[in-house]
Amino acid sequence: MTQILKLEGLMVRFGGLTAVNGVSLTIASGEIRGLIGPNGAGKTTLFNAISGLAPASAGSVHLDGLEITSKSAPQRAALGIRRTFQTVQLVQSFTVYENLLFGLHTRAGNPLTRLIVGSYATPDADADAIIDEVLDYLGMRDLKHRVVDTLTIAHQRYVEIGRALVARPKLLMLDEPTAGLSPAQIERLDDLIGRLSSDWKVSILLVEHVIPLVVKLCSRITVLDRGRVIAEGTGAEIGQDAAVQKAYLGERLDA
Amino acid sequence: MLAAVRSNILPLFFVLLFGLSFTTDAYAQYLINLMLVYVVVAQGLNLILGFAGMFAFAHGAFMAIGAYVSALLMNKFGVSYLVAMPAAGLAAALVGCSIGIPAIRVSGLYLAMVTMGFSEIVQWILRNWKPVTSGTDGISVASPVFFGVELSDDFQTFYIILAVCAVMTALAQFIIRSRLGRAFVAIRDSEIAAQSSGINVARTKVLAFAISAFYAGVGGSLFSLTQHYINPDNFNLYQTIMQFCMVIVGGASSLIGPFIGATILTWLPELLRNAQAFQEIGFGLLLIVFVIFVPKGLAGLLIDKGILPREEYSSRVRGKWVVRKERAEGSERT
Repeated sequence: MTQILKLEGLMVRFGGLTAVNGVSLTIASGEIRGLIGPNGAGKTTLFNAISGLAPASAGSVHLDGLEITSKSAPQRAALGIRRTFQTVQLVQSFTVYENLLFGLHTRAGNPLTRLIVGSYATPDADADAIIDEVLDYLGMRDLKHRVVDTLTIAHQRYVEIGRALVARPKLLMLDEPTAGLSPAQIERLDDLIGRLSSDWKVSILLVEHVIPLVVKLCSRITVLDRGRVIAEGTGAEIGQDAAVQKAYLGERLDA
Repeated sequence: MLAAVRSNILPLFFVLLFGLSFTTDAYAQYLINLMLVYVVVAQGLNLILGFAGMFAFAHGAFMAIGAYVSALLMNKFGVSYLVAMPAAGLAAALVGCSIGIPAIRVSGLYLAMVTMGFSEIVQWILRNWKPVTSGTDGISVASPVFFGVELSDDFQTFYIILAVCAVMTALAQFIIRSRLGRAFVAIRDSEIAAQSSGINVARTKVLAFAISAFYAGVGGSLFSLTQHYINPDNFNLYQTIMQFCMVIVGGASSLIGPFIGATILTWLPELLRNAQAFQEIGFGLLLIVFVIFVPKGLAGLLIDKGILPREEYSSRVRGKWVVRKERAEGSERT
């Protein structure tokens, strides 16, 4: 199986704080990888380092065999890394359709029109077809022309996923997609994430606090604590892991 | 009928002004011309302030660059106005780029301070580079000549100003609906989301500076036509604040906003002519009231009330109005 993402000794330092401390991991194509860890473990910083928002202090990032360590966030997005955010980051005054158009920003085109106008040519019939396909998949076709701030948080999260999907990414990173959702909504999202990787041929890196969900969706889980990978394996394996138990629950008193 | 009016309000506005020009007296025509000039300038400011969300406080200075470049090209080199006006826009855009590249390192209040500093430098140059700008004496502006006809009065220059304003409006609509216009909004609302969708934030910001400065430059050139004489005081801080008022009162990040703002803020001072001391206080009060109570400006208010159609950001979804009323119905559906 080909490796979509490969991190080697990745470090992110902010001044004296080392938020990500020598993380190495690989994600295979089509894999759904869970990333868990207690608060402050460095999950979001690792996300930012992969998507290019936080510069790596050391180590390397490869996407589908291509070294992207020194590439900027927009360049990485163009190469196929897309993500969602813990707090929804959409243009609230725009419709669902208009928000999905952002996902198509990097679509190839004539460089001159891309720079200056880009315009009437870009939201073309193709773009419409892609957006309709994604909206149908998400079951949101009837909400296409609704302004985003009139939607529920659950639907807003779907729009964020849709914005990523229209670009047909290689790697989709979901940062706590269930935050703020009701149990029924979580179940539906859980079902969606489970189908995404095979339906869209995308690898997924999932940060999530709802552990049963991660165990159910992900064949392999990586556990992060204080910027380091402390365990990696199946849900059952990491459940038994002493280091993981210690990170989450602390030391046993009677030991 | 009413629907047709609602969705074609800007073309109707231009037709109305064209019709009015046959009935106006010289003074009313001068004010209409000035209003159209401010529509152009406010559109430029709206692109950077309303759409890209950047507090650039330099559009009086960009306007000055446009006005002086076009006047000097015509006076000293006998260049045709048809060349001088775009040149004025390009000169302002070039300066906009070069101030934009360092200025985008900061944002918010700091960006306002940096750009205000730039405006003061431009004021200083206008006042002290006397061989070229004649300092505070100002310079008189030659009337443009088209095919041997000198356009000397406001009734004649009206046609140029109206045409340029219409073209700049069409261009603004084109930009707003383009990939670039969407990128402006994306960086305004969330820079990290914009970057993660492949939008180059730095380049987009510099382009916002350049394009809005281009508008101010062209507006400055048109302004010099309406005044026949320009001096540094035309382009001081008061000028920039008035432009801010136009965008905020009219409605930031709306195509129609600058029209409403420029109309109100050109005619209001005329109504207050007998109480000049109140003019500046009036502008200040207006700005405060709107920022607090009508943050989306009159255009935003009219759109929220369903009186004007929502402005679509994609050229492909015309005529589908998404009104706020939908908020009530079915928004809790999942």
